Amino acid sequence: MKIKKSMSLVLLLLAVSLIFVGCSSSDSSGEGGSVEGAESTSEGSSEITYATTSDAAGLSPIDTNDSVSSNVTYQVYETLFTQNPETLEPEPLLAESYETPDENTWEIKLKEGIEFHDGTPFNAEAVKYTFDQLKDPDRAAPRASLLEPVESIEVKDEYTVVLKTTEPYGPMLAALSHTNAAIVSPTADQEGDINKEPVGTGPFVFESWEEGNEIVLKRNEDYWREPAELEKVTYKVVPETSTAISMLETGEVQFIDQIPSDHINRVESLQGIEVQKAEGTRVSYLGFNMEKEPFSDLEFRQAVAHGVNQEAYVSQLNGLGLYNESIIGPKVFGYDEEAESAGYEYDPEKAKQIIQENGYEGTEVTLLAANRDNYMKMAEIVQSQLSEIGLNVSIETMEWASFLDVARNGDFDMTFLGWANSTADGSELLYPNLHVDNIGASNNVRFDNSEFNQLVEESRQSVDQEVRKEKLHEANLLAIEAAPWVVMEHGVVTVGYDESVEGLVVDPTGMWSLYPVSRK
Amino acid sequence: MLGMIGRRLIQLVFLLLGISFLVFMSMHLAPGDPASVIGGPNATASDLEAIRDSMGLDRPVLVQYFDYLGGILQGDFGYSYQTNQAVTEAILTRFPTTVKLAVASMVVAVVIGIVAGIIAARKQNSWADVTSTTFSLVGVSIPNFWLGTILILIFSVNLQILPVGGLNSPFYTLDGMKELILPAITLGTASAALIARMTRSSMLEVIRSDYIRTAKAKGVRKRPLIWVHTLKNAMIPVLTIIGINFGSLLGGTIVTEQVFAINGIGRLMIDAIAARDFPIVQGTVLLVAGIFVVVNLIVDIVYTLIDPRISYD
Repeated sequence: MKIKKSMSLVLLLLAVSLIFVGCSSSDSSGEGGSVEGAESTSEGSSEITYATTSDAAGLSPIDTNDSVSSNVTYQVYETLFTQNPETLEPEPLLAESYETPDENTWEIKLKEGIEFHDGTPFNAEAVKYTFDQLKDPDRAAPRASLLEPVESIEVKDEYTVVLKTTEPYGPMLAALSHTNAAIVSPTADQEGDINKEPVGTGPFVFESWEEGNEIVLKRNEDYWREPAELEKVTYKVVPETSTAISMLETGEVQFIDQIPSDHINRVESLQGIEVQKAEGTRVSYLGFNMEKEPFSDLEFRQAVAHGVNQEAYVSQLNGLGLYNESIIGPKVFGYDEEAESAGYEYDPEKAKQIIQENGYEGTEVTLLAANRDNYMKMAEIVQSQLSEIGLNVSIETMEWASFLDVARNGDFDMTFLGWANSTADGSELLYPNLHVDNIGASNNVRFDNSEFNQLVEESRQSVDQEVRKEKLHEANLLAIEAAPWVVMEHGVVTVGYDESVEGLVVDPTGMWSLYPVSRK
Repeated sequence: MLGMIGRRLIQLVFLLLGISFLVFMSMHLAPGDPASVIGGPNATASDLEAIRDSMGLDRPVLVQYFDYLGGILQGDFGYSYQTNQAVTEAILTRFPTTVKLAVASMVVAVVIGIVAGIIAARKQNSWADVTSTTFSLVGVSIPNFWLGTILILIFSVNLQILPVGGLNSPFYTLDGMKELILPAITLGTASAALIARMTRSSMLEVIRSDYIRTAKAKGVRKRPLIWVHTLKNAMIPVLTIIGINFGSLLGGTIVTEQVFAINGIGRLMIDAIAARDFPIVQGTVLLVAGIFVVVNLIVDIVYTLIDPRISYD
């Protein structure tokens, strides 16, 4: 009797689940709700859904500074210049041409006949408005520093704008190519909140944003170039990578990026999914606190550098990292092949010898690691390698927000960090991270070398790109030798997408434009 | 009864006041600066100062707290540091989703838990009992995170009968129900296991009591004996567990919402903590604490309905 009853309960449950199975296979009208529904809309579609790990912080290029927000603003707004992914040289986009009558003056001619999505004309006034806002201390733009050397922005005529700098500013074009220097519609910014309803000149127009859930863009039918192929773009917030990959597999999304190394094999094994990997501009490093003993001693840093086997670490990344001893990576302006092996090669015997000769045996050091990206993996590998050369290493892990504070204040011995380098310009790597001006901010390792500072300043101040490249190369070699950093890897950018997606190209900076993308 | 409810509601106000102080202070005194998160690693010192200044974070903490409190009294819970969205709006748009998830999981937990508990208690040490107790042990031990991922792999990726994530359609539609099944099971399993154990032990205790033996001796039939006499009397501790669990379910939604890409309060809270978005953290913690207290109050009221011997006057 009892068994009969529990059996009938089981049968009932089975029946209910069968009803669900039956319903789902006959249902194909649902939009995204059912698996089949999602697949039926994806065939021959001109729509694409991208899974993002977190929501955008905002949709105004002036008021945000995170890659997730940039992924959206990059499609809606445009910059005066844009970096050619092949040559890494800036090329005009909204600009037509530029001149530098003297080294402190940039006269930029703009393209004519372009309108913002709200109908506001794009002209020199709009550029002046945007840059004034970016520099306005009251607005507190997170990337105000992009235009820090710019003293004034003047409108010469309707389509000519003149930027005057306090000192020569070499990376000007790279700064003007930065997504956070994109031009916004002055009308929209004055009358509304472009952080919620963005208005730019780009190939896609903002449609809706359900915060925490999804952002929808529509094709700009009046785009100044040929309109985009895609009609609709959806950014869906999926915090869990494994869930995003499952969605890619079932067709609920068609496109993911920044695939972590421990998930790449799964994505590559999926049928009907393409994976693109390309050398990126990101560099990850082991940094020493240069103001602390014994890290202030060059010989100690050399010993550690000889003791770290980056190949062993990179080999665990499933191809998502490349080893190169240069601080300025191969995809960054200022790189020279000579720097590739200018560092301290892995040589544990030599490391041990230096440690012993200087009486550093058994020195206790703490390795600070943020609990995200690959930092924990790096920490474990480096810890075991350094204990082999006679150091006593303990790991301290921290969550990101606390880590940022601790690193900024210099409360650590050694730590791991990375630099995405979204302008792909060497000055924008060396100046924020290693120049004395930025101690207490982004120069976490507190490196201060007068010769290096001089070279970096020259690289920023020259407007001759050849001279800049030379200065950057010299500064790079100097920093590699002084070893405030030991490079762990140069990043590899990834995208995984449904095979129906065509024309998607990922930039070395990890950015991608949906303008050339279509679905077959 | 009304007096008790009134007293408890007054207590609630003071409780929330205390919580607001604790949360505010712990967020502001903990390491991690909201300006560094907003500015990112490449913001310079002057960028950061400007951000801090614009958010009023350069003022003394106590001044900031009383400012915040003053706002709350006027119904203004502040604005998100990250998105500048009003905290009340951020919470209100996500709250229905979390309630939907929490209620669905509670239904799963109560139905499975009580049924499994009764089956186990009716015949102690039978195979049904062993199965039910094993389920309870496994259910309590399985991490939500793992269970969710496995369910997605089985039902969404391999069998392709349920969607992977999201909770976007209304719950009364077919799509809405299909979206709810996996997250509700993921979130409800641990509570189901707990309720099953509590129901079983409480039932066993009542079954052994004198009045049940008397009822049996008087010839009360088996079905009314279990469902009316035993179950009703065994329900008090079970209800307590359900009440407490509903509160922790709201906390448990953090992981479930993360795994199933659900845009609810749990994810709002965890994202806000990671980004040091103080106003959002304070708002969500106050909300969850308030719900916890109110649910417990409701449980206390339900006691009197189930057991007339309980009275608060």
